[in-house]
Amino acid sequence: MKRSLFALVAIVALMAAPAASADDSTRWVNVTVTENSSNTNVEVHLPLNLVLTVLRNVDVENFHKGHVDFDLDNDMDINFSEIMAAVKDAPDGKFVTVTSDEADVSVHKQAGMLYVTVNQKEDEMAQVEVTMPMEMMGALTFGDENTLDVAALLGSFDKLPNGELVKVTSNEANVRVWVE
Amino acid sequence: MKSQRGMSTLGAVLLAGTVGLLTATLMMDWMVVDVHVVDVSPNDDLELDSPVHVKVPFPLVVASIASSFIPDEAFEGAEIPPEVTAQKDLVLASIRALLESPDAALVTVKAEDANVSIVKDGDTLRIAVDADDAVVHCNIPIDGVLEALENWDWQTADPHMIFDVLRAAENGDLVTVATDDGVRVAVKMW
Repeated sequence: MKRSLFALVAIVALMAAPAASADDSTRWVNVTVTENSSNTNVEVHLPLNLVLTVLRNVDVENFHKGHVDFDLDNDMDINFSEIMAAVKDAPDGKFVTVTSDEADVSVHKQAGMLYVTVNQKEDEMAQVEVTMPMEMMGALTFGDENTLDVAALLGSFDKLPNGELVKVTSNEANVRVWVE
Repeated sequence: MKSQRGMSTLGAVLLAGTVGLLTATLMMDWMVVDVHVVDVSPNDDLELDSPVHVKVPFPLVVASIASSFIPDEAFEGAEIPPEVTAQKDLVLASIRALLESPDAALVTVKAEDANVSIVKDGDTLRIAVDADDAVVHCNIPIDGVLEALENWDWQTADPHMIFDVLRAAENGDLVTVATDDGVRVAVKMW
């Protein structure tokens, strides 16, 4: 009797395991916004698939099926793809350091991550920290007509490790975006 | 010799009729609208002297049949703007993706004057708004909304959509509203 019970429990556990791992594989996009003046806190916790589905189906002005149109001057001959590839292949190190009365800006690459930090010294005194894994850099694809494939960019979240992507703290509001 | 006692034909018909009626009643989807004015003092416009509690149960099938008698002319002016029709694919794809998503608290808002939460729980989207002047809870059957929108032509108003949604709703509260001036409204499915 006891042996049958153990066998039954083992079968149920084996059947439940794939279902549990399927749930665990869901990637979530999290956004929290805290507005200091009104003491309002907004938390958004959405499955990545849902976000991608919405993005790929939105068709409005300047946003078509996951592509954002940038109204860039056609005379500007910028090859974004080459810039991204160059950043991706570059060795670790500090790329940009700007120090001014208004804000300090720093861009550096370390262990497969690109870090952008901005420390504003006036107005809202905002501190911005952007962490961009190289997988995201590869997904930053620009079309022929100054379009950015946002859906592909968000699709790359699927391969990212859990972690914070954007953190903004300021006198007015705090924003945090992370993927898990 | 004792004569055998059996059920009369009339009795059998009455019993069968009662059992049939009960079975049909139990098998039908029912909706109950429950309005309870707990405190009449702030509701002068209702002209009530004492607390009122009204419960109106009705089977969905009857409401659905009744809606068929609404003349088409009644909806002639209610044409759907083309901007809405254009978003058909987006809306349907989003609802399908939501239906396939795992259960979770999707949105939580905490403010000084109101708290809002949107939770996916199985095939139901539970929306709760707790504001200073009212508390609203709404349980939306996602699968019912999807079915209704898939069957809709996206060009004209269709009252039958409501019944597609209601039929898919789980038993229990569909909508509850409690205002700070003592009015409680609940729409329940049974």
